[in-house]
Amino acid sequence: AVGSRLYSSEVKKCTIIPGDGIGPEISAAVQKIFAAAKVPIEWESVDVTPVRGPDGKFGIPQSAIDSVNRNKIGLKGPLMTPVGKGHRSLNLALRKEFNLYANVRPCRSLEGYKTLYDHVDVVTIRENTEGEYSGIEHEIVDGVVQSIKLITEDASRRVAEFAFQYTKENKRHKVTAVHKANIMRMSDGLFLRCCRDMAEKYPDVKFEEKYLDTVCLNMVQDPTQYDVLVMPNLYGDILSDMCAGLVGGLGLTPSGNIGLNGALFESVHGTAPDIAGKDLANPTALLLSAVMMLRYMNLNKHADIIESSCFATIKEAKFLTGDLGGKAKCSEFTNAICEKIAAASP
Amino acid sequence: AAIPVALYGGRHAVTMLPGGGIGPELMGYVREVFKYAGAPVDFEVVEIGDENTDLEYALTSIKRNGVAIKGNIETKSESASVVSRNVAIRNELDLFVNVLHCKSYPGVPARQKDIDIVIIRQNTEGEYAMLEHESVDGVIESMKVVTTSNSDRVARFAFEYAKKNGRKKVTTIHKANIMKLSDGLFLETSKRIAKDYPEIEHNDMIIDNCCMQLVSKPHQFDVMIMTNLYGSIVSNVVCGLIGGAGLLSGKNYGDHYAIFEPGTRNTGTAIAGKNIANPIAMLSASVAMLKHLGHTQHAELIQRAIEKTICEEKIHTPDLGGTAKSTDVVQRIIDNILQADIRPW
Ligand SMILES: Nc1ncnc2c1ncn2[C@@H]1O[C@H](COP(=O)(O)OP(=O)(O)OP(=O)(O)O)[C@@H](O)[C@H]1O
Ligand SMILES: Nc1ncnc2c1ncn2[C@@H]1O[C@H](COP(=O)(O)OP(=O)(O)OP(=O)(O)O)[C@@H](O)[C@H]1O
Ligand SMILES: [Mg+2]
Ligand SMILES: [Mg+2]
Repeated sequence: AVGSRLYSSEVKKCTIIPGDGIGPEISAAVQKIFAAAKVPIEWESVDVTPVRGPDGKFGIPQSAIDSVNRNKIGLKGPLMTPVGKGHRSLNLALRKEFNLYANVRPCRSLEGYKTLYDHVDVVTIRENTEGEYSGIEHEIVDGVVQSIKLITEDASRRVAEFAFQYTKENKRHKVTAVHKANIMRMSDGLFLRCCRDMAEKYPDVKFEEKYLDTVCLNMVQDPTQYDVLVMPNLYGDILSDMCAGLVGGLGLTPSGNIGLNGALFESVHGTAPDIAGKDLANPTALLLSAVMMLRYMNLNKHADIIESSCFATIKEAKFLTGDLGGKAKCSEFTNAICEKIAAASP
Repeated sequence: AAIPVALYGGRHAVTMLPGGGIGPELMGYVREVFKYAGAPVDFEVVEIGDENTDLEYALTSIKRNGVAIKGNIETKSESASVVSRNVAIRNELDLFVNVLHCKSYPGVPARQKDIDIVIIRQNTEGEYAMLEHESVDGVIESMKVVTTSNSDRVARFAFEYAKKNGRKKVTTIHKANIMKLSDGLFLETSKRIAKDYPEIEHNDMIIDNCCMQLVSKPHQFDVMIMTNLYGSIVSNVVCGLIGGAGLLSGKNYGDHYAIFEPGTRNTGTAIAGKNIANPIAMLSASVAMLKHLGHTQHAELIQRAIEKTICEEKIHTPDLGGTAKSTDVVQRIIDNILQADIRPW
């Protein structure tokens, strides 16, 4: 099963974690745009600044956890990772808390924002709970260190299933399993077998297997040969950032985390402390993440109108923020999108 | 690696491992070009199949000659007990470092122009340690091993390389924020070695950010060092940006032996036997090999012929958007050798 879907048309509650730095401004921008599009969503804003729990350790406040558990769906701005040892990253804590097992990152070239690559349209799906991020490491003898990459059949199968299901639901055509089973024969071999097995259950979806290095080579030459890619954790981390690089960086790419206990959509850029509070940030990544969220909730009409208004505003290039080479404020860009939505609404 | 002493008459014996896919045809071009360039090298050809005796024979031959030129060997079996032949050769010969000089060829179509990056990669451990086991049913553990001694050797190699070749900056690529011990050790070691080279700038970058930077702002990089798997990723990204798998060559060095091969280590099974594979990567591996053996003039003769053919005359195979056959490119290179060749030596 691919998370619980919310099909009815009544007003739904969604958790919003505005985050740090530019987080609050871009979250406000998204909320404003959603209001303009009359999206039937009621936001529940929560703060995830770590608090000291009953066990004396710092962690996410229980109220925030309860909110996501209740609503099963959330939107999240960038969070500052507290510096200092022993402090687990908040992103990691959220991932664990809600069993967010698949990270989905669509990367698409935007008309009106020229990069070296046109017509990029790929989706990376990354296993998000194990692999190289197991955190199991030790020094065997002096000067010899080992890290363990953990691959399980259960996690591999569920991310493979998600990839095929996503491909089908989003009317895409091909899944590429990215692996290194020529070297990591057992671990990547297991991952690959899970993908092969799943492929048999989805005969309408084309399936191929590619070595990680071959995908790196081909992706920078001609990204149009790929569609949906599914892979273990580290490869997904690397390839998703690389694909974002092809279309202009993290300021434009959305991301969704699909879990057993809920789904969390987020912008993957940082908190941008240098421009925080100055109304200069580009809300596009968070907005497109929110659009992904709408599609996940089956609010496709709202998703379409917001997305096309956003793309049209960028293409028009009258109100671009500084990161896209423009001079507009975050609020001006936001207003331009709202006007397009109003013009398109019946 | 130590440079082998030439045999009687100044000739060197070199092991040739054609490998699978396009390997054999590319090796044929190397021999053809060497014949016309008069390169003083005799090849000892060893085919490696699925038999272990082949591998042992190849290793004996390389140990005797000190130098090999190699195509990618396909390990067909998916069995966990069959180790990749390519990895086995590198590990047995302790070829701890892989060097890939990624320099754009002017006039060759590519996504990025004027790149000049040297990728120095740990070549024998890390994620390629191939220590794996199934702890319980459906749960696999795969070790990544990083050692101080190998990290030290790679970093020292990189800074020495930078110093000798007038390079300004070394960047360590890692994921030490997640793999705090293993990548942490690699990073700390390179920081320690960097202190011995105050004239060379040193910085570091996380692998995912590095890949994003490579596709958008590649000119910020000079010399890069990294563990094994990141090396595979970065090498292929940069080769892709410069013009693909058919252009660049890589060098594998240990304390005693050296192996030269195409930079991206592809087999090219799908294009084998069609006379469309780009011969340049393997030819440039052969040029690097000649330089290593001290046959500088032959190396330069072939290198100039290659550059004339692909940069000026633009005779390109389909992977570079051209229509030339592999053999057209090779013939043109031979013609250019014959025209240029006044053999002053
Ligand atoms: N949404 C955005 N709109 C405009 N510029 C942005 C945006 N996000 C990031 N930037 C810019 O990109 C650069 C890198 O930002 P980022 O927040 O990732 O920095 P960082 O130092 O990694 O922060 P953090 O520690 O929070 O990850 C900054 O110069 C920032 O101004
Ligand atoms: N010398 C070459 N000339 C032209 N194209 C090449 C050359 N070597 C590799 N390629 C191309 O580079 C890409 C990756 O190579 P290849 O298919 O060998 O990858 P691989 O994943 O190793 O697969 P295989 O198992 O078939 O070797 C392919 O598109 C291949 O055609
Ligand atoms: Mg990342
Ligand atoms: Mg950041």
